[in-house]
Amino acid sequence: MIIADVLRSLSSTDGPSGYEYRVINLIEEEVKKIPDVSAEIDHLGNLIVKKGGQGKKIALFAHTDEIGFLLTKKESDNYWRFTTIGGIDPKAIISQRIKIYTRSGDIAWGIVGMLEPHLQTEETRRKVPSLDDLFLDVIDGQDRVDTGDIGVFSVEPFLLSDRYFTGKALDNRVSCATLLYTLELLNNFIPKAESYFVFNIREEDGSPGAKTVAYRLKPDLAIVLDVTHGDISVPSMPRIELGKGPALGVGPVIDYNYFERLKGLAESISVNYQIEPLGGRSGTDTDLIQITRGGIPTLLVSLPLRYMHTPYEVVNIRDIEETARLLSYFVARGGE
Amino acid sequence: MYLKELTELFGVSGYEKKVREYIREKIKGRVNLIEEDPLGNLIAMKKGRIDKRLLICAHMDEVGFMVSNIEDDGRLSIIPIGGIDPRAIIGKKVIIGEKEIPGIIGFKAIHLQKDEIYEPPKMENIKVDIGVTKKSEAENKVKIGDFVAFSVESKSNERWFSGKALDDRCGCSILMDIIHRDIDLYYDTYFVFSVQEELGLRGAGVSAERIAPDLAIVIETTTSGDNPEFPSDRRSTELGKGPAITFAHSGYVVDERLFRWIINVARENGIPYQIKRRTVGGTDARRIATTLAGIPSAVISIPARYIHSPMSIINLEDYSNTLKLVSILLTKEARL
Repeated sequence: MIIADVLRSLSSTDGPSGYEYRVINLIEEEVKKIPDVSAEIDHLGNLIVKKGGQGKKIALFAHTDEIGFLLTKKESDNYWRFTTIGGIDPKAIISQRIKIYTRSGDIAWGIVGMLEPHLQTEETRRKVPSLDDLFLDVIDGQDRVDTGDIGVFSVEPFLLSDRYFTGKALDNRVSCATLLYTLELLNNFIPKAESYFVFNIREEDGSPGAKTVAYRLKPDLAIVLDVTHGDISVPSMPRIELGKGPALGVGPVIDYNYFERLKGLAESISVNYQIEPLGGRSGTDTDLIQITRGGIPTLLVSLPLRYMHTPYEVVNIRDIEETARLLSYFVARGGE
Repeated sequence: MYLKELTELFGVSGYEKKVREYIREKIKGRVNLIEEDPLGNLIAMKKGRIDKRLLICAHMDEVGFMVSNIEDDGRLSIIPIGGIDPRAIIGKKVIIGEKEIPGIIGFKAIHLQKDEIYEPPKMENIKVDIGVTKKSEAENKVKIGDFVAFSVESKSNERWFSGKALDDRCGCSILMDIIHRDIDLYYDTYFVFSVQEELGLRGAGVSAERIAPDLAIVIETTTSGDNPEFPSDRRSTELGKGPAITFAHSGYVVDERLFRWIINVARENGIPYQIKRRTVGGTDARRIATTLAGIPSAVISIPARYIHSPMSIINLEDYSNTLKLVSILLTKEARL
């Protein structure tokens, strides 16, 4: 597969938490191109792809949902109030075009308006409007929108340079692309594990998707793929950089033995990796999977990403390649 | 109407070349004279019935940025050109320089922000990401002094038009429409597409001096404030209520004879209009009015929402009513 092309389709397909089916359907189509796997969509909407093999049961998870918007209240004419699905910085919402999915299935369009500087006062200039003060100016389809309609950033993804890719929802479509590529690479092996590639729903909504699938599969090892903050210094933390390989999580929510094995494998096949200390919980699906159905050993592998939860997140294509290479070897060797 | 093409063109103050070339191409052969002055103002003339001169002006430039430094990590520091609200620029796509290199304005993820979520970002913390990690790589693509414009695709339906740079490509489009219509002009009419309006009305005066008109009309795109967050008694205009006629604005009280004349013509012809209710902001009229021994000037504007941000809106009925009003005015003798 051509990673940038798959990433482009994944990023431009819309699926806020609870409304992931368009993304799930797209991934199912991609999976059909890969031989010797079987795919199933469960009763909640999670896509589970099985790859046969003798050995331990390993499940890899990537959430498919993205942050988004919900129309809450009509103010007047074309003006609507809204809330967010997942945490979004109001500064990143101002002056954005929002694509709205109406109940009838039509698309409506709105703009988050910002008062012209000429009319502002010293006082209003000093603070950023809260979500309660922002409004959506629905200039296309104002008669068709209703309370509860969902919206997403209207952003065209593109290659920022030869290896950096930008667009919306790369949290966590970059992991979806990585899992697809891992599946493809796994065809080069006779795997010593029975593996499940899970494209789950609702991570931004508190992990009900991943938990239910983990319950059903009860794998011997769960590997969660998500994103982490890259190219920014966080006090007391190592700086995770784009282009330097996957960040392997370490901490209470991570199984220490499997972590050591994955790290050792990365070294032996020369995959660059970074270490991400996770004090307490990780804020990913890992936290819930670990305490599901008697307890499941978990690993968290994160792809570095810039500007998380803004309309233009940035990832490095090379990180996808290297992460997939590592994971395909790891699964093929049965988690050793 | 040339709004789609005009608003999507790159034309930050000081770099109006692409807009000028587009306009020149579209109007050539339809005017009696076309020339460019040393500052880059484009001047086109159509003969009228009498030997007196009217100057009609719209500015080509839009607000934007300039690359002020290339940082060691390859990100670009930028400084604003014209009045831009730093709260409206995060999460936007931009294009840089002659070659229109794409970049994005990212920002620290919400997860890593503490109290600063509701603080307007400082320009020094706004960086453009062009997908490189080293200064030398960035220097191969861009240079200090390159202009930076928002990259926004326009969108419209039968009622609304949204996009960037509506201020004042709407005015440019009106002038172009008039050139294309075969109007029985009263005066020798000089169409001036001016430069550097956003930097303090620097272009138009130079043209006025060259032309020495008997009177001038400025066609602008102005503020409205007609949104649910802004008190209705502080709004300047409302969309859908027709062209806004200015009686006074920052630094200039409009010539009363021209102000009355415009209103009378609108009334006589049943064209809806509104008096602009605020006097904040200025237009090229201020500069033109004080050129040479003084030139009586007037201002007619298309009301817009969210100007000076990457996403502004006009009502297309206001556009056509403005075109109608100006077209009639140009056939008549002004009451001076």
